[in-house]
Amino acid sequence: MSQWFTIARIVPERLGLNGTAASGEILAATLRHRGHQVSLVDVHGPEGAPSTVDIVTLGSTSTSQIAPTTTELISLVRIFQSWKDQGAWWVGIGVGWDVLGTHITLSDGERLPGAGIFPTSADHRPGRLMGEVVGTDYRGRPSAGYVNQVGVSELGDGVVPLMDFTGAPDGFPSTDGAVGERLWGTRLGGPALALNPHWSADIVSGVLASRGLSSAPSEFDERVEDVASKARSLIENRVLNRR
Amino acid sequence: MGKIPAFVVAKLLRFLTRLRGGGSAFPGYVLLKLRPTILTDSLGHLADGIVFVSGSNGKSTTTTMVVSLLRAHGKTVFSNPAGGNLPQGLASAVAATASLTGRISADVAVLEVDEAYGGIIADAITPDWVVLTNLQVDQLNRFGEPEHVYALLHDLAQRATRGVLVNAGDPNLRAMGTQLQAAGHHVFWVEISPEAASSAPHGLVPAEVFPEIPGNLTGDPVATLGAVEGSNATLAVGGERVDVKLPGPGLHYAVDATLAAGMARVLLGSELSSPTLAEAMSDSQPVFGRGEKITYRGTEVSLIMMKNLPSLQVNIDALTTRPDVTWVAVDEGTPDPSWIYDVDLGVIDHIDVITGTKAWQWALLCEHRGIPYGEVIQPTAEALDRVVALAAAKGSPVTAVVNYEQMMLIRRIAGYKELEGSS
Repeated sequence: MSQWFTIARIVPERLGLNGTAASGEILAATLRHRGHQVSLVDVHGPEGAPSTVDIVTLGSTSTSQIAPTTTELISLVRIFQSWKDQGAWWVGIGVGWDVLGTHITLSDGERLPGAGIFPTSADHRPGRLMGEVVGTDYRGRPSAGYVNQVGVSELGDGVVPLMDFTGAPDGFPSTDGAVGERLWGTRLGGPALALNPHWSADIVSGVLASRGLSSAPSEFDERVEDVASKARSLIENRVLNRR
Repeated sequence: MGKIPAFVVAKLLRFLTRLRGGGSAFPGYVLLKLRPTILTDSLGHLADGIVFVSGSNGKSTTTTMVVSLLRAHGKTVFSNPAGGNLPQGLASAVAATASLTGRISADVAVLEVDEAYGGIIADAITPDWVVLTNLQVDQLNRFGEPEHVYALLHDLAQRATRGVLVNAGDPNLRAMGTQLQAAGHHVFWVEISPEAASSAPHGLVPAEVFPEIPGNLTGDPVATLGAVEGSNATLAVGGERVDVKLPGPGLHYAVDATLAAGMARVLLGSELSSPTLAEAMSDSQPVFGRGEKITYRGTEVSLIMMKNLPSLQVNIDALTTRPDVTWVAVDEGTPDPSWIYDVDLGVIDHIDVITGTKAWQWALLCEHRGIPYGEVIQPTAEALDRVVALAAAKGSPVTAVVNYEQMMLIRRIAGYKELEGSS
């Protein structure tokens, strides 16, 4: 039976550099193809923010926008906490993940507080990482993407890496991202959920299960995985050929 | 190596590379190795100086327009071919034009300069003037983020010995111009009216680097873009209204034209003639591969460049009718196509054929947006045959969204042998 779901995109005009605001659109498509209706709501501040949401997405931004973004998000922290308490799922890409953690150490050493949704922290001092990556995710599935983000993350209790790299440019850490209870963060672009529809399916299935709904894959899920596997295969070829 | 032997080698290499239809930058690369001071040797004496044109987008078109305007006013102008904006491309242009003694006969040089190499080129030849077109999100796989490009452009602007011209419709450049004025630099600027800026659905699409800093430029603009409608724009230059015809429809062409008119005003002063400006601008054509239309087997193929989000978006915004036959061809020249998720495809409601190593990533976008797409055909030649056959059956042209590398390949397959900028 069809139900309504709400996906909140947080300040997408600021947190949306390089396709990273697309997570909401991709999750909405996945839900719709499973027969449900979706309201995609862009949240710019407390006014107009929905009282309940099912999924919250945050994309990334450039370095000069990190401090203004954290300032802007201060007014939303209470709402974030309310959504978390209600059981919302969280998807953060790059800086959008970083600002949901406990704190961010900027490249100049300044420490900014995060929203405290994720038990993770970010350190931007190691600098920018760029390049295609391949590997296996927390369930052993082939995964891939393109990283163009600053910094690395430290994971706290209750979260595990989203992905172990089997191929990445020199200087990259061995893992990326974090997966925890209703938490999902990464530095992968691509956008990550389109290139790795198994992640999109995991999130959507979790959201549906929380309402006691069937989480069976749709024909769309299978078709998109087929297309995505061809895209990932080309990325893998490029990564392996560069070794 | 001495000038004459270096030029003999470079000109011979240029002759050989053109015989085989190869790249145009190699002779310049060799020339720079043989004679590192070649740019100063050849261009350092020009009476009206050297103009650099840089920025994220619009460099080629603005450069071409400035050259046209100056030539229409009787100036002899040296320029580099569109896209030949790296040091080796510039040196290749010198090799093509200079005498065997390295002498270039011109009043002024107007040079398109890549934003990442502006400082290196300025080390070799100091610009008198720098024109900055815009700061937009561009090639993040190359630049990391727009803040880095802001720093590069700011550094380049500071190297201008006589003045800087900025597009004040871009808040980043308005802020930069204000900073430069405060530091004592001579800053000229062009204004984009709110009416003109709102003529495109997505506006001017600047990067958000300094959106909160209001630029307070002093003085009056040297040119103002008043209105844009299709391929027509109304400018105000030197207190006179000038109606110009653009090389194609779109706000981006109008901004480029305003910058070109502004630079011409700065260089020519009261000698700038409005009728001559309008006539020269009306004769201008799209720059190689940017909105260019080629013909293959009797079918027109319109090439829309997929360089970066702002550039692609303004070109798609300029499409006024739904294309019947559409083709997307993107390969390794676009290492990270993530930004396609930020593009509003506007009137493009289907894609007939997708080509190149990034084809499956475009197919994923179509899947999630519910945009019907046809075949994924990897070889470009085979895909070109297919879309042209589809278009012929419908009696329609092909609208192709292509990255630079695929554009070059498609042109070669279609029999367009000339090198960039040499046509």
